[in-house]
Amino acid sequence: MSLTHFAALLPLDTLGHYLHWHFIQISVANFVVIVLMVFTFIAAIFAPFPGRRRRKENQ
Amino acid sequence: MSKRFRPDVDVAPWKGGHSPYDIIKEGTIALVVVGLLTLILAVVFGSPDELAITIKTWSNATPLDFAATALSELNLTSGTAQYGAPYNNASTGQQLGPLQLAKWVGARIPINTVNDFVIDPLKSLPAQPDLSTGLKQWSSASSATRSHWVSSYTKASAKMTFVNGQVTVTASDVGPLPVLINNLTEMARSGALDQALVTQAGFYTTDFTLPLLFLADGSYLASLADHQHLTGDQWGMMNETGNYPGQAWLWLYTFWYQIPPFNASGNGDVLVWGLMMALSVVLLLVPFIPGLRSIPRKTRIYRVIWREHYQSVAKE
Repeated sequence: MSLTHFAALLPLDTLGHYLHWHFIQISVANFVVIVLMVFTFIAAIFAPFPGRRRRKENQ
Repeated sequence: MSKRFRPDVDVAPWKGGHSPYDIIKEGTIALVVVGLLTLILAVVFGSPDELAITIKTWSNATPLDFAATALSELNLTSGTAQYGAPYNNASTGQQLGPLQLAKWVGARIPINTVNDFVIDPLKSLPAQPDLSTGLKQWSSASSATRSHWVSSYTKASAKMTFVNGQVTVTASDVGPLPVLINNLTEMARSGALDQALVTQAGFYTTDFTLPLLFLADGSYLASLADHQHLTGDQWGMMNETGNYPGQAWLWLYTFWYQIPPFNASGNGDVLVWGLMMALSVVLLLVPFIPGLRSIPRKTRIYRVIWREHYQSVAKE
């Protein structure tokens, strides 16, 4: 088996992209991860608990 | 007399019902989901895989920068030579107000840049007439004579050139320095210097302190780091090479390095460390700090999370 079988499908080794705002400088990759974390946090607050429908039916 | 109820500290006894909760089941699901996500992301995006930068790479890419750095190790102007603890006593190092933290640690990893980076590696080379003569001349000279040679060579080094694999400086009264610098550059370009600096450390080659410090003293490594947005003033602590996400959780630690007084202070590292330690203590003590500990109760986010319960309580 050649090493190409282990290569990534979409390698991210190209030069990074960055967002600048005054002294704030953040890579697009980090920004995406932070947005996903914030989204997950908000979803954890607002998403209904699993099993809610079953509990309601039991009531 | 009964104690007054303190809403931030005391808990009212629960009078409602109870539901079973399977933490093992939830933990297993989380483990499987995160494991699968990791596997899929690794297959799709791979991982950062930059080639290691060695002294061989550096000296072949920019031989003049290497030779100039070797000279800075001889005239004691390099970053390592002037660093202070733990390598030498050249400066006080990082201090927090009156607390000279670095100095207290002392020169725990003593490095003599002249011998460790230049003379000792050259001594490890197979005997060559001009090099052997040069090394003998260096070791038999007085300290004042060596300083004079280094000073004369340093003055002339502004016009240093690299032609046909040779470092050339037009200067007089510089003793064996042209031979030493030239041989060290040749040694570096062949890869032998990497090996010599590592093998000085012992049987197992796991201690890369010397080659890393030598690399860091030059401007080649810094220029590569700058290109990849990895330096301190580029939020580098948060970043990864390429387009991969980095250590986003270090945003606060990195943030302080971008603003005054931290970004202009020679003690920036210890000031940021001290501030983060103070903030960490505050975080640990949140349950005991009036006002801060009331935030969850006053923001009432818990009522959003447990909204069904509070709706049913309100109906009753």
